[in-house]
Amino acid sequence: MRFWHKILLAVLVLFIAALDVSVVMVLKKSWQLNMASERKRAASEQLLITNSIYENLESNRFRGMSLNPELLVSVTQSYGQHYRKQGIGLELRENGRLLYPIEDGVSPGQEETRAAQEEHIMTLAMPLPAPYQHLELVYKRDISGLYAQQEELNRFFVMINWIVGPLLVVLLYLLIRHLTKPLKLLSETTKTIAEGDYSKRVELNSRDEFGELAFNFNKMATVIEQRMSDLAGMAEDKQRMVDNLAHELRTPLTSMQGFAELLTTANIDQDDQVKAGRYILSETVRLKNLAFKLLDLSVLRHQPLVLAEVDVASLFDTVAQTEQQRVRDNGLLLEMNSSIPAVWGDADLLAALLVNLIENAIPVSRPGQTIRVLAYQQDGEGVLEVQDSGSGMTEEQSRRAFEPFYRADSSRSRAYGHAGLGLSLCRQIAEAHQGRVELQSAPGEGTSIRLFLSSTL
Amino acid sequence: MAHILVVEDEQAINDLITMNLKLVGHTYAKAYSGSEVADMLEKERADLILLDVMLPGLDGFGVMEQIAPLRIPVILITARGALSDRIRGFELGADDYIIKPFEILELLARINVVLRRNEQAASAFVCDRVEVRFTERQVWVDQLLVDLTAREFELLEVLIRNRNIALSREKLLELAWGYDYAGDTRTVDVHIRQLRKKLGWEERIKTVFKLGYRLEVQV
Repeated sequence: MRFWHKILLAVLVLFIAALDVSVVMVLKKSWQLNMASERKRAASEQLLITNSIYENLESNRFRGMSLNPELLVSVTQSYGQHYRKQGIGLELRENGRLLYPIEDGVSPGQEETRAAQEEHIMTLAMPLPAPYQHLELVYKRDISGLYAQQEELNRFFVMINWIVGPLLVVLLYLLIRHLTKPLKLLSETTKTIAEGDYSKRVELNSRDEFGELAFNFNKMATVIEQRMSDLAGMAEDKQRMVDNLAHELRTPLTSMQGFAELLTTANIDQDDQVKAGRYILSETVRLKNLAFKLLDLSVLRHQPLVLAEVDVASLFDTVAQTEQQRVRDNGLLLEMNSSIPAVWGDADLLAALLVNLIENAIPVSRPGQTIRVLAYQQDGEGVLEVQDSGSGMTEEQSRRAFEPFYRADSSRSRAYGHAGLGLSLCRQIAEAHQGRVELQSAPGEGTSIRLFLSSTL
Repeated sequence: MAHILVVEDEQAINDLITMNLKLVGHTYAKAYSGSEVADMLEKERADLILLDVMLPGLDGFGVMEQIAPLRIPVILITARGALSDRIRGFELGADDYIIKPFEILELLARINVVLRRNEQAASAFVCDRVEVRFTERQVWVDQLLVDLTAREFELLEVLIRNRNIALSREKLLELAWGYDYAGDTRTVDVHIRQLRKKLGWEERIKTVFKLGYRLEVQV
């Protein structure tokens, strides 16, 4: 059963019931009132007739006429004949004995009607005043007209029911259809969205509850659409990462497999054997680095960090120890400068971040250039910065720099055994610190990467 | 044999390919980026180019457009096996396509197919007193024609094309008899014995312990 069916049926039943009950009550009340006034009228008429008969008898008595039954009958008869024309019948009884009966043909020619309406006769009896108390006048009045009127009213009422019912159904149908139109619209839109078209919205501009519902529904749809596109974006990122990972694995695996094949099956001299062995080794190291970096990323993602005060001088010492030799081997200079004593963070992770950034800077720099590592305060935030004056990156390269496995210059940095995960790792480290990484670069002018640590000393 | 230009930015893979080319008797030149290919081809002509698609600077497809007028056969090498990439490669005139990671034997087989199609495969192979003429399918020892069965000749050709590389019995069956041959690997042993006897190559065709056979020729 549809909602509008229910409303229509409920309203119809309630309305008809209320109408009928009230009309029946009104009819009943009016019947009572009519009866009462009829009775009153009858009573006063009877009284009037009784008194007239009494006076007539009195005057006859004063004139000395004996009150024999003939006189009584003749007096009553004169009244009876007079009132018969008004539809009133009179009877006179003396000590319960009928002296003057109602004459037949009160309403001549209406015998059958009278017979059918016989029960609708109002009968009143009262004794005459003294000294005629042995006489009783019976007053009979035909009230079938009243009954006929009531029946006419009843018929009319039933007819109205038959007319009003269908009319009400039609009007209610139109009204309900109009009122539940927004519901239909909402339902259709919901169906479209359920089928996967999240861009659909309900177009409804009313200010009632439906309007409110539509507004909230649209808000919900917008949020869902946003979430869905976020999810799709994330899935795409993941897919790209997996594709890249596949590529990263394929290249070292190809050479490892090939050189191992060469060593076991081919007739090669010792120099080539050594060369093949070295390649297998270096590619293994590359795979190992990749595996560890991936592991680092995964650990960072799943372990909350305990932040502590990190002394900048000792942080720089650690980093210099790790990287000094490599920097020097490439003919570069490492310069470290700090204007703040300490930062909040995890010493190992911050060191790893600086090492990663320096290793990124080495292959892009030319011999004689300087790599600068700086620590300072800016707008209440602690900043760690690594600057190089190397080849720099284009806008497109800067934008993609944080993507896992992205390399601005693939062959050169790969020659260094880089997995292409350095900046991804840096960003993870920054996020673990609730900080952020910013990259600034221009082709030919070098690159600087800043880590902003929100909590400083 | 052929002179092959290998264009591959990964040094390890470049060396891997060239070492194998050297083993089977090809000569080679190495390039590590797309932009140097045209210059190198100007200096010395190559019979075939093995070209990586993902190169720094000019990528493999760019290189193909640049060198198209020279009409040198090209085999593309790439880590990406996407259909669109392959189609693009063939549209640009690549002769074949090989996806990393690849087996060396497969690469060599594809190289041979392309060279033969372009009639640049060696038509004869000479070693010791033996001369093998591939086009005539004849083998001469000391200027005397030796009678080989068809299968023996196929096996000999596989050994020569992949010389200095050990081939398992299964691989030999696959290459000389065909994929659908359901024979025993001992069949290979019988045919090898025949070849050794007929050509006097008891020392040349080595049995490699646990692996199979290898035709050893000085590089």
